[in-house]
Amino acid sequence: MSQDFIIECENVKFSYAGSQAYALNGVSLKVRRGEFLSVIGHNGSGKSTFARLLNGLLEADEGKITVLGLDVSDSKNVVEIRKHVGIVFQNPDNQMVASIVEDDIAFGPENIGVEREEIGRRIDWALKAVGMEKYRESTPTRLSGGQKQRIAVAGVLAIKPDVLILDESTAMLDPKGRREVIEVVKRLNKEEGMTIILITHFMEEALLADRAIVMNRGEIAIEGTPEEIFESGEILETYNLSLPRISILSQKLRGAGMRIDNVLQTEKLSSQIVKNMQNKGIYGGQSSKPDKIAINENDEWDIDVKDLVFTYSKKSPFATKALNGINLHISEGEFFGIIGHTGSGKSTLVQHFNALIKLPQAEKKYKAKKPKKGQLNPVISSISVGQFDLGNKKCDWRALRSQVGMVFQYPEYQLFAESVFADVAFGLKNFKKDISAEELEQAVRESIEVVGLDYNEIKDKSPFDLSGGQKRRVAIAGVIVTKPHILILDEPAAGLDPKGKNEIMELLHKLHREWCKTVIIVSHDMDEVAENCTKAAVISNGSVFACDAPYKIFARSSELNALGLDVPLTSKIAAQLEQQGYIIESDCTISDFADKVIEVYSGGKTNAQ
Amino acid sequence: MLNDVTFGQFYPAKSVVHRLDPRIKLLSLIAIIVLLFVANNFYSLALCAVVIFSAIIASRVPFKSVLRSVKAIIFILIFTAILNIFFHRGEHVFFEYGVIHITLEGIIFTVFLICRLFFLVMASSVLTLTTTPVALTDGIESLLKPLTLIRFPVHVLALIMSIALRFIPTLIDETNRIISAQKARGADFESGNIFKRIAAIVPILIPLLISAFRRADELGDAMDARCYTDSKKRTKYKKLKFGLRDLFTFFIFAAFIAGVVLFNIYCYDICPQIYEYIKVY
Repeated sequence: MSQDFIIECENVKFSYAGSQAYALNGVSLKVRRGEFLSVIGHNGSGKSTFARLLNGLLEADEGKITVLGLDVSDSKNVVEIRKHVGIVFQNPDNQMVASIVEDDIAFGPENIGVEREEIGRRIDWALKAVGMEKYRESTPTRLSGGQKQRIAVAGVLAIKPDVLILDESTAMLDPKGRREVIEVVKRLNKEEGMTIILITHFMEEALLADRAIVMNRGEIAIEGTPEEIFESGEILETYNLSLPRISILSQKLRGAGMRIDNVLQTEKLSSQIVKNMQNKGIYGGQSSKPDKIAINENDEWDIDVKDLVFTYSKKSPFATKALNGINLHISEGEFFGIIGHTGSGKSTLVQHFNALIKLPQAEKKYKAKKPKKGQLNPVISSISVGQFDLGNKKCDWRALRSQVGMVFQYPEYQLFAESVFADVAFGLKNFKKDISAEELEQAVRESIEVVGLDYNEIKDKSPFDLSGGQKRRVAIAGVIVTKPHILILDEPAAGLDPKGKNEIMELLHKLHREWCKTVIIVSHDMDEVAENCTKAAVISNGSVFACDAPYKIFARSSELNALGLDVPLTSKIAAQLEQQGYIIESDCTISDFADKVIEVYSGGKTNAQ
Repeated sequence: MLNDVTFGQFYPAKSVVHRLDPRIKLLSLIAIIVLLFVANNFYSLALCAVVIFSAIIASRVPFKSVLRSVKAIIFILIFTAILNIFFHRGEHVFFEYGVIHITLEGIIFTVFLICRLFFLVMASSVLTLTTTPVALTDGIESLLKPLTLIRFPVHVLALIMSIALRFIPTLIDETNRIISAQKARGADFESGNIFKRIAAIVPILIPLLISAFRRADELGDAMDARCYTDSKKRTKYKKLKFGLRDLFTFFIFAAFIAGVVLFNIYCYDICPQIYEYIKVY
C-alpha cells in the first residue's frame, strides 16, 4: 500500500434508512497526504454524507473506505480513525460542550486520555493556530460567528488529526467570519502540512484548493484543479451550482470580443482588462454615469428614524449600547439594504420598525423625567412609519405589525403548525379575528402561490416534511399573508447555496413588484446589496455610516475596509482600473459594470479609427 | 474574563471572595447553613451575621444586589413573621384575643427566625453573586469525586451540567427570537385568560423543542467526532487550585464553627442578667 494516500475510497455507496435512492452512489477517491481538496455541490448532492462516512459517523452500505490503512467499517478502528480525521460542522453553536473556551478545547484530548500538561500545551498550540490566544478564558456565546467557528476548529485541532474536514463550516458565517476561518485553514495546510477537505457551496472558497471535485446526485461529476472546473462553464449550472461572480463577469467581457482568460483573482482580471484596452490603443477613459433609479414619489409609507438610541440590559453590569443615535429615512417604494457586520446593531434597528422593541416613551410604565437643573433636555428618540407614531403609547401595535411584515433570520425555524395551511394562516387569523373561511383560504392560497409553491400540493403537508428551500418560502408566505406595505427580511439568503440565494432574491424582487411597496433587507453580503438594492445604509457601531445609492457607498471602499466591511467585486475591479486611468462608473451590478467596461473599450475603438 | 457570563446572578468584580476556590465557597455555605440552624441564641446568630456581612464587604458586591435576592422571599418572611407573632405561646403575654396572643417570647422567636432566614438567603446569594455557574459546576464535580468509588458516573453528571450551562444562553436567545417572530405575526402573549395564554405558548414551544432536538443531534455528532466514548481512560484538564487564601478561609470557618458551638454551650454564662430577656424558645 502506498503511504502517499491518507484516505482511499472505493466505489462507496450509502443510502439513508427509509430512502430508496442512494445518497452516495459509487464514489471512488484518493486523498494525498498534505493535499487541500475542496468538495463542491448543491444542498443534497451527498457531500456532507461523504464527510460523515470518512470518520465512521455513518457506515457505508457498499464499497470500502480506508484511512491510513485502517478499514473504517471495522468498529474497533473507529476511535483510532477519529483521532486522525477531525470534522468541523456547520453550526458553531452546536459543537461546543463547555462555557469556557479552554475547557471546550480540552474536551477532545480528555476523551482520548491525553496527560494534563500535554493538554495545556495543545490548547496553547491550537489557539495560536486559529489566532485566538486572547480568548482562552472567554465564553463562546460572547464571540462572533467566525470566532466561534475558529474555536470549534481549535477543538478539533487539539486532538492532533492528520486530516481536517470542514463540512460547510463557513455556510452560517458573515463574510468577515468566513475569511477568518479560511485564512486559518489555508495556514494549517501550508505551515502544518495538514490534509484539508473543504466541503462548501461557495465557489470562491473552492478556488483555494489544489484539487476540487464537484458532486451531483451522490456521484463525483467533475474532478480537477479549480481552474479546470470553472472552465467547464455552463455545465456547472446543470449541477445546480453557479459560477463565481468573477467568471460571470469574464464571460460577459469575452462576449464583447475582449480576450480574457479564465482567471479567478480580481487583480489578474483587471490587469487583463487593461492589457486589452492598451492593445487597442486606449490609454485611459471614462464611462457614462449610471442611470438614476426612479422610484415613485409617493411618501405615504415612509419610515423616519430620528436620534434612535438603544441599550441592551440597561441598569445591569452587562449593559451594552447597541444603537447610538440613528437617523435614517427610508422612502416608500425602495428596495432598501441595511448593511453591517454581526453585532453592528442592524437587527436591533429593524426590530424597532414594527415595535418589537418599543421606544421607551411608548412603554406603559413610562413617565417623562424632568431634567435636573443645569442639564440639557435629554434627546428623545422618535420613529414614524407611515401614519404610525411609534413614540405614542396609544399607537395601534397590531395594525402596525400587520402593515410592517418581518421575516427573521432562518425563518423556517419558527414554523410550528401541523400543516402548511395552518402555519401560513396563523398571522392573518391573529390580525383579523373575524375573517371568513373563504377569505382566509383565498389569502393563504395567493401568498403560497406568490412565493412559488403549489397550493393544492402543499397545503395539507406538515411544514417539517418540506425541503429547506420550501420551508423558507412557506415561512415568508406566513409573513406576507397580511399584505404588508413594508416587508423587512433579516438575512433572507443566509445558509442557502448559491442557486437558492438567487432564487430567494428573485422572489423578493417579485414581491417588491407585485405585493409590498417597500422591501428592506438586512444583509452582510455586499454583492447581494449591490445587485439588488436601490438604496442602502451602512450601520457601524450603532450609527449610520452612510446612506445612499449602493454604488455611491461602495465608491468609499477604503473607508468601508477600515470598518471591516468588504466591497462588491465590481467596486474592487473598478478601483484597480481607476489606478490605470480607466474610470468606470457603474451601478455596481455585474451586468452594468460589464456594459460600462465594454463602452470604454468600444468607445476607444471608434477613437482609434 | 469574568464579565463574559451573562446569566445567573453572577456579579463581576475583582475581590478575594470572587477568587476563592469554588469548593471552599460551597463548603463554607453548607457550614453557614448548618450553623444558622444549630444556633440557639443571639450571640451565635450575631457571629453568623458578622461572618456573612464581612463576606459581603470583602466581595465588593453592592449591598443592593445582595438585598435583591432577599426581595424574592419577602412574602415568605412576612407570612412566617405574622404566624409566629400571633400564635407563639409564652409566659409574658402582652395581648390576647381568642386564639391570637402576642407574647415576649413570640416576638423574640420571630425576630430570631426572620434573621435566620434573612442570613440564609444572603449567604447563598453571596455564593451565586461571586461564583460563575461554570466554577460552581467544577466545584460540585470535584466535591462529588469520591462518589466514583461507588461507581457513580461523576464525569457524566459533570458533562451534563456543563452542556446544560453552555446551552442556556443559546436557548434563551433562540426563545427570544421565536417570541419576536411570532409577535411580528400578530401573536399575543399578554392578554386573554389563562387558557388563551397557555394556547399562545404552542407557537413558541414547538419550534423551540424542534430546535433543541436538532441541536442535540448535531452536538451528538460533534462529540462523537471529537472521540467521545464512555471509556474509563478519560483525563481531566481542569484542576481547581487550593491556594493560601482558601486555607485562610478554612481556618476562619473552623474558628467560626468553634465560636458558634461555644456560644451555644455558654450563652447563659456570658451575661446572665440579660439572658432571661433574649432567651429563644
